[in-house]
Amino acid sequence: MLSAPVGALTVLWGAATATFFAQLALPGDRATTILNIRTGQAQARTPEELAPIIAQFGLDHPILVQYADYLGGLLRGDLGTSFQQFRPVRDIIAEQLGATLVLAVAGIAAAWILMVVWVTLTAGRTPRIRALGSGLDTLVAGLPHYWLGILLLLVFALHLGWFPVIGGSSPADLVLPALTLGIPLAGFMGQAVRTEFEHALEQPFVLSARMRGGSDLGIRLSHVLRHAVLPAITLTGWALGSAASGAVIVESVFSRPGIGQTLVAAVGSQDLPVVTGIVVLVALVYVIANLLVDVVYRLIDPRITA
Amino acid sequence: MRARAGRTTAIGSAAALLMMLTACTGAAQSAALAEGAAPASGGTIVYAHQQEPPCIFGGWIEQAYISHQVLDSLVSRTADGEIVPWLAEKWQVSDDGLGYTLTLKDGVEFTDGTPVDAEAIADNFDYWAAGGNPTAAVWLDGFYESAEAIDPRTVVIRLSRPYTRFLENLSQAYFGIQSPHALQTRTEEENCEAPTGSGAFIVEEWNRGQDVVLVRNEDYTSWPADAEHAGPALVERIDWRFVTDATTRVAALQSGEADLIYDVPATSWAALEQAGYTLEKYVTPGRPQQISFNTVQGPFVDENVRRAFILALDREAIVSTVGQGVIPYEGNGAVSRATPGYSADAADAYTQDITRADRLLDEAGWTGRDADGYRTKGGETLEVLLPYGAGTIINADGVAILQAVQEQAKAVGFKLDLRPLSPAEHFSGEFSGADTHDLSVGYWTSVNAGILYINWRPSTPEKPNLSNSAFYDDPELERLILEANSESDRETQDALYRQAQEYIADRALSFGLYDRLSTLAVSPRLQGVRQEQSQGGPSFHDAHFID
Repeated sequence: MLSAPVGALTVLWGAATATFFAQLALPGDRATTILNIRTGQAQARTPEELAPIIAQFGLDHPILVQYADYLGGLLRGDLGTSFQQFRPVRDIIAEQLGATLVLAVAGIAAAWILMVVWVTLTAGRTPRIRALGSGLDTLVAGLPHYWLGILLLLVFALHLGWFPVIGGSSPADLVLPALTLGIPLAGFMGQAVRTEFEHALEQPFVLSARMRGGSDLGIRLSHVLRHAVLPAITLTGWALGSAASGAVIVESVFSRPGIGQTLVAAVGSQDLPVVTGIVVLVALVYVIANLLVDVVYRLIDPRITA
Repeated sequence: MRARAGRTTAIGSAAALLMMLTACTGAAQSAALAEGAAPASGGTIVYAHQQEPPCIFGGWIEQAYISHQVLDSLVSRTADGEIVPWLAEKWQVSDDGLGYTLTLKDGVEFTDGTPVDAEAIADNFDYWAAGGNPTAAVWLDGFYESAEAIDPRTVVIRLSRPYTRFLENLSQAYFGIQSPHALQTRTEEENCEAPTGSGAFIVEEWNRGQDVVLVRNEDYTSWPADAEHAGPALVERIDWRFVTDATTRVAALQSGEADLIYDVPATSWAALEQAGYTLEKYVTPGRPQQISFNTVQGPFVDENVRRAFILALDREAIVSTVGQGVIPYEGNGAVSRATPGYSADAADAYTQDITRADRLLDEAGWTGRDADGYRTKGGETLEVLLPYGAGTIINADGVAILQAVQEQAKAVGFKLDLRPLSPAEHFSGEFSGADTHDLSVGYWTSVNAGILYINWRPSTPEKPNLSNSAFYDDPELERLILEANSESDRETQDALYRQAQEYIADRALSFGLYDRLSTLAVSPRLQGVRQEQSQGGPSFHDAHFID
């Protein structure tokens, strides 16, 4: 367990370093990009035009000095200043993080509920129902977020009018975005859980529970599920980290704020401080999620030790 | 005020997510409209715009649209191109055309309480010229000399050479007047997020990624002369939302959640119009969506090869097919039809003529053919590169148009490589230099043909002009444009501008494809939304709900 913080720091340092140098490798000149985006023009620029921007962001310093400045800032919790918004990156992220976390958690919750209900209802039934169950898992796991989001939007928001089209922060605004994120995830988790679930159904403890007179649903929920969900917990850790990528699309389709949209905009405008800030943050979420998964594993299955 | 989706149901737990699927949470339908009601005051306009800018003041059109609500300009431009008072009550131009004496409205204040006086105007000019707004700076470049406050209400702008349509340029929101006190005493971040002006609205808050909330300036005294009503704005608030996805924008309007939307997709146009929405279309003056040739490097150095390329295309057919009658075809490669002094001759200079295109290419020595049917000369294929900013300068309809151009150019033997650029690549300058591409595509909104000076002024070592995308440095063309800019007689001026456009067409330096549009779809509940007449953004001072 001692090595966990070291490992976590290594992951963070790696993410920060990789993004920093990957962004530097992008085509063109950063000062030109900053000026062109501020004017909406795409043209070469004269040294006189670029000088103030280069000075402002220290773009004329050697790369290693810029890198050291950047890492030093990270250690102090300073992520730098956005090239485009004139604001500290920390503020930009802090503003957007809440919305994405809420979306990610709601999406994962929706995935769990859908998955548990569906697997419990269909696993280990007649061959036809089993095929339907796993077939739907596979189908929804592959649904693209954009397509699914637009479909839900057109059907449930525009046609039926049950939910708002453009969301803000009320709970009803969250339903369709959460489902857009949650439905494919439910498919992924369902694929993993279903095998375990059907395997567990054949175990002696299930037979003995049945002989004690337990109802089928009760046994499925209280005994079988507990054994079958471990892979889904691992996937949840992964899902939390990858929510940023799903959030990019979902936030755009449903016009929600969040770091996904912010990241896309920042990559598009080569706003290096914002991009590196968000990537380091996502790495941090992955690290924390993995630590949590370890803990939850041990709670559910005490046989697992570090 | 506005009917909108019910949001009364709260989700107590994650389990409710499932329940929500089957539970109806309320009607999202607009209430029936009361007939013949009087204009009401109050309410919040929800406006869905497609793009979030980094700042509310800056050099590009996305910023200008929103700063127009917050900052007053010196003058306003009416639908028929007339310049009318705004912050400037009247003006006088000296006989030599070099001095503009502006008299300001009395008693106007910025929302920070400082006066909109002559000193403030002079400070703004110096701020723009120094790069405080890079787009304002290129308009002033070559003309602006100084600004001086004579007394609190009188400011004199001095030019180094006459610029007849100078005032007209100032109607663009790039020239929105800010409080110098705010510029000096507040941080860059504060001025970026909420510039301080004297406009009809004030920035209340910016929820990044979501919306900018503008609140009515209750003390507004400086409406433009072409406003429909006197006094502060009629509505209390504007919720300026950023809704990137076009499908979502249209759905938001249809469900009653948005009162108006920007950038209506061509495919939704007819359906929205039939459903009773008001559709507004403003063809932006200035440079249309056009392609310019690299005249200093590659095959297009040869004028005949440039001609052959244009003659290979049936541009009108391409644009009408893709644009479904909504996007106007534009043959002129220099300025759009909405621009004063537009030359129809330059627009009509080239119609598809494949025989002639083939002959010109033969004469230029591109006589061979490779295995794929592309022309060759000395073993080299006639291959040309067109990089374009996908999703920034060129939308989905624009991409379809470029692909059709590629197809038709192939028929005479051009191998046209289309290279979509991510915003990062596009803006990085990587594909802007003369040695990086053969063709470039893009627009530049403006109010008049003065844009020709920005796009075609020669680039010299002492005074580089990197906005000249054809890299065509021609003193004769510059002389024509400068003469036109300074000509005080409007008819003579228009004739000179037309001459400049024909000069460009004759030498096949660039050719037009389609006019850039600024479009709005407005709910019938909302009246009085105007498209301001310098760049076509919405103007909300007169807007009000009827109910």
